[in-house]
Amino acid sequence: MSELPLQSTQPMLEAVNLTKRYEDGVLALDRVSFQVRAGEIFAMLGGNGAGKTTTINLFLNFIEPTEGEARINGIVTHLEPLKAKEQIAFVSENVMLYANFTAIQNLDFFARLGGQTHYTRDDYHNVLLRVGLAKEAHHKRLRGYSKGMRQKCGIAIAILKNAPAILLDEPTSGLDPKAGHDFIELLASLRAEGKAILMSTHDIFRAKEIADSVAIMNDGKIIMQRPAAALVDTDLEQLYMQYMAGRSSELVG
Amino acid sequence: MLSVLIQKELKAIILSPKFTATFIICSLLMLLSVYIGIQEYQNSVKQYDAGKQLIDEGIREATSWHSVRYRAYRAPDPMQIFVSGLNYDIGRWSAINSQSMVKLRNSSYTDDPIFAVFRFIDFTFIVLVVLSLFAIMFTYDAVNGEREDGTLKLVFANSVPRARYILAKCIGGWLGLVVPICLPILLSILLVQLFGIPLSADNWLRLATLIAAAIAFFTFFIILGVLISAMTKRSSVSFLLALVAWIVFVLIIPRAGVIVAGQILPVPSTAEVEGQVQSFSRDRWATFYTAQEERWRERSLHNNQSEGDLSAVEEEKLWKYMEEDDAARKAVQQEIDEFDRKLNDDLRHRRTAQERLAFSLSRISPASAFQLAAMDLAGSDIALKSRNEQAMDLYRTEYTQFVQAKQAESGPGGGAFTIQIDTEKGVSIGTPRDQAAVDATQLPVFVPPTFSFSDAAATFLLDLGLLLIFSIVAFGGAFAAFLRYDVR
Amino acid sequence: MLRILIEKEIREIIGSAKFAVIFGACAILILTSCYVGARTYQANRAQYEAAKAENLRQFEGMTDWFNIQQHRIFLPPQPLASLVNGVSNDIGRTTEVWGRGELSAQDSKFGDEPIYAVFRFLDLEFMFQVVLSLFAVLLGYDAISGEKERGTLKLSFANAVPRDKYILGKIIGSLTALTVPLVVALGIGSLLLPLLGVPLSGDDWLRLFLVILTGLLYFAAFLTLSIFVSARTERSSNSFLVLLVVWILCVLIVPRASVLLAGRAVNVPSVDEIAAQKARFQQQQWHEDRASWSNFKPTKSDDPNAMMDELNRYMEEQADIRDKKMQEFTARLNEQRYNKQVEQQNLAFSLARVSPAATLSLGVTSLAGTSITLKDHYNDEAKAYQSLYANFMKEKTGTNPGGRMFMFRAKIEDGEEVKPEPINPQELPEFEYHQPDLAQSISAAALDMGLLAFFNLLFFAGAFVSFLRYDVR
Repeated sequence: MSELPLQSTQPMLEAVNLTKRYEDGVLALDRVSFQVRAGEIFAMLGGNGAGKTTTINLFLNFIEPTEGEARINGIVTHLEPLKAKEQIAFVSENVMLYANFTAIQNLDFFARLGGQTHYTRDDYHNVLLRVGLAKEAHHKRLRGYSKGMRQKCGIAIAILKNAPAILLDEPTSGLDPKAGHDFIELLASLRAEGKAILMSTHDIFRAKEIADSVAIMNDGKIIMQRPAAALVDTDLEQLYMQYMAGRSSELVG
Repeated sequence: MLSVLIQKELKAIILSPKFTATFIICSLLMLLSVYIGIQEYQNSVKQYDAGKQLIDEGIREATSWHSVRYRAYRAPDPMQIFVSGLNYDIGRWSAINSQSMVKLRNSSYTDDPIFAVFRFIDFTFIVLVVLSLFAIMFTYDAVNGEREDGTLKLVFANSVPRARYILAKCIGGWLGLVVPICLPILLSILLVQLFGIPLSADNWLRLATLIAAAIAFFTFFIILGVLISAMTKRSSVSFLLALVAWIVFVLIIPRAGVIVAGQILPVPSTAEVEGQVQSFSRDRWATFYTAQEERWRERSLHNNQSEGDLSAVEEEKLWKYMEEDDAARKAVQQEIDEFDRKLNDDLRHRRTAQERLAFSLSRISPASAFQLAAMDLAGSDIALKSRNEQAMDLYRTEYTQFVQAKQAESGPGGGAFTIQIDTEKGVSIGTPRDQAAVDATQLPVFVPPTFSFSDAAATFLLDLGLLLIFSIVAFGGAFAAFLRYDVR
Repeated sequence: MLRILIEKEIREIIGSAKFAVIFGACAILILTSCYVGARTYQANRAQYEAAKAENLRQFEGMTDWFNIQQHRIFLPPQPLASLVNGVSNDIGRTTEVWGRGELSAQDSKFGDEPIYAVFRFLDLEFMFQVVLSLFAVLLGYDAISGEKERGTLKLSFANAVPRDKYILGKIIGSLTALTVPLVVALGIGSLLLPLLGVPLSGDDWLRLFLVILTGLLYFAAFLTLSIFVSARTERSSNSFLVLLVVWILCVLIVPRASVLLAGRAVNVPSVDEIAAQKARFQQQQWHEDRASWSNFKPTKSDDPNAMMDELNRYMEEQADIRDKKMQEFTARLNEQRYNKQVEQQNLAFSLARVSPAATLSLGVTSLAGTSITLKDHYNDEAKAYQSLYANFMKEKTGTNPGGRMFMFRAKIEDGEEVKPEPINPQELPEFEYHQPDLAQSISAAALDMGLLAFFNLLFFAGAFVSFLRYDVR
């Protein structure tokens, strides 16, 4: 797992015609396809209900696709979910974690659950320091944590799993600007380690700053997908607004 | 402003799914409990009537007053539908005769222990256990829940005085919970009407007061929830505290009061007292019989002088002897009665003292105050036993006097038989004084003790007052706590 | 993997304030109920001894066994009955024993001292049935839905965690974390009993152990039920509400409603009716007998003493015949009522057993010997004593004193009255109450214990299956 296929041509995360229609008939995701390679950050942009979280849930096999498949390192998630999940770490939005546990205890539990049983207490301290959580908070129960502190804990848990792919669902929500900035740097360093990163976000500026590839989603479809290189000179915000306006005028028309 | 706040409270309660669910449960439980109460009451009435009828039949068939086994039955009261109290624990009838003292026997639970296995649920129980639990469930997060949701900050970003806010909390919560609860209460009264249970004006008055007491009790727990939520920051903590308070008030204190009182003022058991009476009675009878034996020996010496047939004169003499014996027996009986009464009075006094202590102790909890008030109102309180026994005791005197008068009319010896042993003629047994039937037209009828609102008022008012004081104290506490509450 | 999950579950529960408060309350309540049980036992014991001594004292100074009347036996308080009251406070404790005739126990504790009936008792059964089940609900209602709300469910399942292992870890972890402290509290409470002066025999210890085991099974049933419900609901507030409804149904409604239903379905003749029928029959017998007495002709008519003896024999014969007829009659009536009662009970209890609370109640009272059969059992014991007593009296007096009758026989020898010797009341056979056989109690409770185990399995399976399909998002 630690030998990362840096030069591999096989994508680490791959969505193939990923479609999800819920029992109530709502089409949450409509034939979405994309690839994320090792050492690459893929950002999904879009409003609420665009299908970003559904995509992530499909990769985690929390739900099964109606059509198509999500692959992690070539493993189809809904066919071999447990094997696939060994390859991914996950940071969820607004995670509360176990309020009665200290940060260290939370980390310990999730690390061991992820199969990483070799960590020492120092490792936990180091990773918490790396995500920007001051040392005196490490042994406090999470009950007294702010939203941002809990989010940092969640990121630390993902790092500890040391998986080749990382899924992030709105990771910057709740972080203050300084922490947001630190987080971007952290992501960059994870990319440098060769991780494949899939994140959903509302935050256009951050996405542009860090992502290698950006997809704008609406109504369960990817309506625009560009590599970051192609975005350098583009005003992503304007583009986004343009697309959204186009969509709504379509709807009105 | 107050009305805006109250309206918001009402909406918050009534529109929550929690409310619908609990409201339906409460309504069903109340109706079920009253339905069960009606069934049990009707059963009791049937039993009571059947019992009285059996007594009448017994009298009709009797050939002498001696063979009449009279029983006085405790009358059912329609209020027991709502408050079963001690009704099923206390004996239903007592034998009435000159030989034995009044004592209630055969309680419903003793006769049919199946009902004792799971006990009855009555209206009082529902109010006591279920309603109080629900009151707490609705108000435990009244203040701190709003803080957690962030709405408290929003509210106090406006120029809202704290006093008004907490007042609105209490009033709104009270209206939102008490008014809907009145619906099942009214429905259950309707149910009673539908089943054709006759309620007198006095019953109506007692019922109305019972409902008032129930609402006062419910109010206390509503305000207690607000108080606890105004003293804690997190709703999870206040929920636990409220639950512990509920357990202590509803389950522990009432019982603990009785247990402590039992330890402080022990009371001898009935069996022990009866044992004392019996040894006294045995002593008395022993002397009586020795004396009687002596008398008979003397009398037989007289008789032996005149040999031959038992003449009419002789027989008359015999009956005279028996009359003498009867009088002596009555004297002894009276003596024993007095002794028994003295001991029982003593026992009763000690018990009353114990009860008074137990109830004073347990009244620390509003739950006991409510329960005692309800039982007092329904007349199924702890005095139910002594009230009936006293009435029956009075009746017993009346009855024995009547029977004695009747026996005097028809001459003594009714139901008795004579055995004559004669060396000449052998043994002959006769029942000379039996009649074809007894005349019961003038038999005084046992009138069960009446119990009305005014009888209950004294103790009941104390409990209702206590309930109000508890509520006011809780409200004061909530008020004071909230004035210093950290709304952040 | 399973170990990690169980470990986390235990740590999380034990570290929570909720657990600390609830466990503290539980421990206090359990210890209180043990203490109260012990005190009650001692008070009852003292009352029992006093009544027994008084009963014997009244015979002192008597000179003729013939004159013993009102011999009473009492149901001795049982150590376990003070912990599991059952119906022991509702049934009569005092039985007047005559040499013949029907026995009926009178003076129930609640009837005698209604003060105890006002708020009922606080016994171990009540603790289990009401308080512990409520606590189980409180501790388990958010087992799954709570994790979902905190987002930890998603986070856990982002790892290669099989669902079956997760739910298994959840259930095992919660059960261990919650039952072990309970066992400790219950153990301390039980060990306090002998210190508080409650003598427990080896047999009693086994019973107590089984009572606690049944209680724990019941607690576990409510815990697995809570996990089951929380695995079927999205929000923990919903699962709490559902569980509260279920709790009220199980603990308060179903047991009582089933008795009510059975009461409507099976009509048991009232005690009064039967008593009246018996009284009427007895009176009739008496009348017939009295008519027949005039047929008595002594064989020897010269010796008054011999005649008296003969008369006595004749009267006793008559009484025996009367007694036999009466017995047949009452046996028939009693049997009819008994059969109806049993039918009613069976129906009521079968219905009630739908609820684990009723099952617990029936199980532990069977084990403690305070179930509904206590009344009949006591009556049987009293009957056995009655024949013992009758034999004893026959031996002492030559006849079986079947009724309330005073007889004074003066022995006159040579015109001088012989000063009679006082009797020794201690010679009276003592009434020894035997609890129903342990094996019998266990077999009676086995159904309920089995049923509770079944409830556990059922809820466990329910939780398991529900969780496999649970939406973890």
